[in-house]
Amino acid sequence: MRYLASLVLAVGFCSCTALAQDDHNLQIHGFATQAFVYSGSNNYMGMNTSSGSASWSEAAVNLNDQVTEKLRIGAQVHMTRLGSFGDSNLSVDWALGDYRVNRWVGIRAGKVKIRWGLYNDTQDADPGYLWSLLPEPIYAVDLRETNLSQYGVEVYGKLLLPKKWGGADYSIYYGDYYYASNDGYAALFQAQGLKLVGQPSGKTPGFDLRWKTPAKGLKIGGSLMTYDASGRFTTGTLSQPLAYWPTYYAQYDVKKLSFSYQYTKLVQYTNITLTNSAPAISVSDTRSWFAMASCRVTDKFQLGTYYTHYLLASSPDRSNPANYYRDWAVSSRYDINSYFYAKLEGHFIDGNGVGYYSFNNPNPLTSQSKVVVAKIGFIF
Amino acid sequence: MRTNLLLSVALFFLLGVSAGQAQVIIANSNVKISAISKADLKEIFIGASSNFSDGTRAVPVTLKDGAAHEAFLRSYIGKSEAAFRASWRSIVFAGQGTMPRAFESESALIDYVASAPGAIGYVTAPVSREKVKTLSVK
Repeated sequence: MRYLASLVLAVGFCSCTALAQDDHNLQIHGFATQAFVYSGSNNYMGMNTSSGSASWSEAAVNLNDQVTEKLRIGAQVHMTRLGSFGDSNLSVDWALGDYRVNRWVGIRAGKVKIRWGLYNDTQDADPGYLWSLLPEPIYAVDLRETNLSQYGVEVYGKLLLPKKWGGADYSIYYGDYYYASNDGYAALFQAQGLKLVGQPSGKTPGFDLRWKTPAKGLKIGGSLMTYDASGRFTTGTLSQPLAYWPTYYAQYDVKKLSFSYQYTKLVQYTNITLTNSAPAISVSDTRSWFAMASCRVTDKFQLGTYYTHYLLASSPDRSNPANYYRDWAVSSRYDINSYFYAKLEGHFIDGNGVGYYSFNNPNPLTSQSKVVVAKIGFIF
Repeated sequence: MRTNLLLSVALFFLLGVSAGQAQVIIANSNVKISAISKADLKEIFIGASSNFSDGTRAVPVTLKDGAAHEAFLRSYIGKSEAAFRASWRSIVFAGQGTMPRAFESESALIDYVASAPGAIGYVTAPVSREKVKTLSVK
């Protein structure tokens, strides 16, 4: 709780500063959240959830300055503490210059969020959505630090389409990315007895294209993130050749209802060479999707549900719970006022292909588990 | 007969109040367009577009709260105040834009729109709009 107290103090200080700065085209915004997670069995996401865990806290503060009509500069620092992952230190979430040439072309450079699928670039902005946990197979909260952003350039804008065809937004990017120093990827290597030295890194070019169709409220799109990686273990080297991570999605908003769907497939080759050993090449082929529905019942109250599915298709044994993950989630959110909100969410999980780690699950995992997440948030 | 008369009077006042709260879209006088489509207006106010149809920059501004603000969001944006704010939070926290400036009063909003190139906002009809341009909504 001392993290939450210090976070609230920090964001409160910044909100006072924001009021003082408002006349100079400067904006400061931020949020802090604190969650309590309980699971009926199995410890989830690096937290000791089977006995109830309050070790999930997040906070972010950003500063934006519209320097000229076309140029904006800004940065956001973010802190995530998720059980054994993350820590209480602030890290730079994004820091960029954004030059908007016209409605067709804009350029962002610096550390820039990666637009991939429906929610990759917004998944660490908890106040912006209903859910406490987005579908874990696609937007894994324990892996997101690595996949959120890149150090490079993004060109974005609108495509010139005849009005009767609707509208389309594009994003093309190229840059470097780094594995987070302490997230689920590091833990997965650790489970194989491999300790990373530094942060593996690589290039990550990719694009996103989303079409707002002439059908009112219907958006469909596709993204492709590509990446490679190289790095070192204390006992060898890591090399991942270029991987292609495509995803396809659709969203339909009608009145107070919203429906969305996303599918992705990832084939990943990993080459690990230990000292005095021959290279060991492994391949994983995973397929994941989710379907979501949500309703804004009142201005302050939202309800929603989603089903998500993950399959390790490269495994010959698809009935092994370690090779699949299915989750029914039921979620609610209540906005208490402009500054505070609360979320309550239940998960009915079958399989443990994602989200579970051996370091805090010394006993065999049960194939099914129920998880409850309660969260409060403060925003300004 | 008397009942009909009372109903007519009530209806007159209801319509009168409703018309009095109708939203008028205003813009800085340097904005070249004189009409804006409802779709373009929505795109600008939800952060999906930062330009008018002629390509010049659009800077949306809003009232902080109140009946006029909520009526504008309902009529033109199709969102509640909470949904409107949530969609902007996603944009701001993803580093893709800045939140529209929000003003306590219509007079403060009008003053800002009058002084900021590209600014676009809304007021209720009875407010004086001499310093700014009025855009018709197609």
